[in-house]
Amino acid sequence: MKRYTYLSPTCPESPLSPIISLTGVTKLYSGFRALDDVSLEIQPGITGLLGPNGSGKSTLIKSLLGLVRNHQGTGTVLGLQWPREVREIRDRVGYLPEDDCYIAGLTGIEAVAFMANLSGLPKTEGMRRAHEITDFCDIGEEKYRGVEAYSTGMRQKLKFAQALVHDPPFLILDEPTTGLDPDQRDAMLRRIRTLAQEHGKSILLSTHILPDVKAVCDQVVILARGKVRVHDSMENLSKPAEPTLNVMTYGEKAAFLNGLEKAGYTVTTKTDGTLKIIGTDIEQVSNVWDIAAATGTSIRRLAPAQNSLEEIFFQAVSASEHP
Amino acid sequence: MPVHDLGYRKWVGKRNHQLIRPLYVARSGITLIWRRRMLKLLLMLAWLPIAIPAIGIFCFEQGVTDMTYRRVIIRTLQGPMERPDLAAQMLQDPVSVRHEVWSTLILGFFRVPQLYSMVLLIGLIAPLLISYDLRSKAYLQYFSRPLSPNEYIVGKSAVIWFFLGMITTLPGLTLYLLGVLLSPEISVVGMTWDIPLRILIASVALIVPTTALAIGYSACTVENRYASFAWFATWIMGSVAYQVLTNAPRMGRGRRPRMDVDTERWLLVSPYHTLGKVETWIFGLDTGDSSVWPAVLILLAVIVIGTLFVRSRLIGKLSV
Repeated sequence: MKRYTYLSPTCPESPLSPIISLTGVTKLYSGFRALDDVSLEIQPGITGLLGPNGSGKSTLIKSLLGLVRNHQGTGTVLGLQWPREVREIRDRVGYLPEDDCYIAGLTGIEAVAFMANLSGLPKTEGMRRAHEITDFCDIGEEKYRGVEAYSTGMRQKLKFAQALVHDPPFLILDEPTTGLDPDQRDAMLRRIRTLAQEHGKSILLSTHILPDVKAVCDQVVILARGKVRVHDSMENLSKPAEPTLNVMTYGEKAAFLNGLEKAGYTVTTKTDGTLKIIGTDIEQVSNVWDIAAATGTSIRRLAPAQNSLEEIFFQAVSASEHP
Repeated sequence: MPVHDLGYRKWVGKRNHQLIRPLYVARSGITLIWRRRMLKLLLMLAWLPIAIPAIGIFCFEQGVTDMTYRRVIIRTLQGPMERPDLAAQMLQDPVSVRHEVWSTLILGFFRVPQLYSMVLLIGLIAPLLISYDLRSKAYLQYFSRPLSPNEYIVGKSAVIWFFLGMITTLPGLTLYLLGVLLSPEISVVGMTWDIPLRILIASVALIVPTTALAIGYSACTVENRYASFAWFATWIMGSVAYQVLTNAPRMGRGRRPRMDVDTERWLLVSPYHTLGKVETWIFGLDTGDSSVWPAVLILLAVIVIGTLFVRSRLIGKLSV
């Protein structure tokens, strides 16, 4: 499958220019620092924006769209000057708000077509495009019903269709899978992946659901107390600080543990009984097999250890609480 | 599942200019409100009073040559319209008062049936516009698009302008056209050509401040019934206060002499009378230019304060 590279609309010659580049963004709400000197550079692809409640995720998103006025900070979004060219930025961004928001009285298809018109699509073209996108989002015949009567899941799909209807190169999705049942959640994540991989769209995915981030994101930004605590690719984040192997064995493992320690390995035992052999990677695995053979231990599973996103998240949040 | 599942496709095409995007806000609002059957009924009823001034103009034009009609119009000017001065002139030279009689009849149409219709119509539709958006958080949808709060306000106001235009400007101009058609000769146009312009200006004076006041109330609360209540209360309480302040001193008790009251002084407490003062001036029936300025300033203040209030409410909501 072809993987597209995002092209900045203003610098077509520099395909790897960042989607978002912010410096020193600060937002105060009556003295409370919702964003505290945030500096970020987000590359094309799918980026997960994580953080506990009140960490500043929604404020950052609203700031990017110019919905809240910042006290400090400059940058670029899609190569456009931020916050000076915020209207042009909104023209090229599709936003799925976290809040349950809808225009009362409209049917689903009218609501999507209306958003298309507000983004500048002519009337007929907006309606045609709305039909196409509601089909893509699997809204089906429900699109002819009033939006007030929609279930939470349907409203999520409708907001997704509205965010997408004007074919923006960059999507900001704030909790897109909230309220969806497991099937619909999978379908939503599939759509997000399709848009990024087959249509070259960049996506900023703000969520509390860590498995969603793990499933689709290339990069992760963790915000806590208004500051960026972690910002790296999923690949780098999942690598432990030292090469480590996770080993699960059958039966008694005291002799195996003893053998490993005699060979100079640092070994810890996890709560589920898995041994963590620190300081060795998959290249040096033959040594571990030898020790297992010598001590008569059967190895059930052996794999390089990876940092879990949950661990990274909790470490980042607790570090922000106890600096 | 669609018959032909196209999947996701890129969209390539020319986008509309940003300046016309508020029109889509207006169109969507008009479409939504147009679906209400009550409103259609109200719009039709609002056109009925046009018959009265149209008959008045017909009688006046016939009265230029026919004494029977002239007597009818003179009685009307002396009685319900409270213009004995015009009646006296009509008796001597009807053609010389043509402009004034037409203006008086059309102003009467604006002042009484249309102003009441306007209050009722806005009371029904305006609270739905912004308070609904605040309640359903639709403002997030609007402002995630390249739409500024000012453009949103213009779009929402245009919904009210459209419906008010349907019950004031359009019938006003139709009334003028009917007057011309009911006249025995087309030369009346030469003497009354400025009346359509005055109708347009009077419509603006009526529509713009009332819209600003209405959307201001609509933005006050997420409960549209409170906005409706505040709207009707403003008009009713204002008129009642004006009547009390101007009539109470006149009603001398026992043998106390009745006092002369300066009605202009209390005009500004009532939106109905403030608007009436400005409209009378626009139709050229109130020549006291200096006395109209306080009323004009009040209307301008309502426009500015109403618009700024809505703007600040929207920006405040977005910051939460």
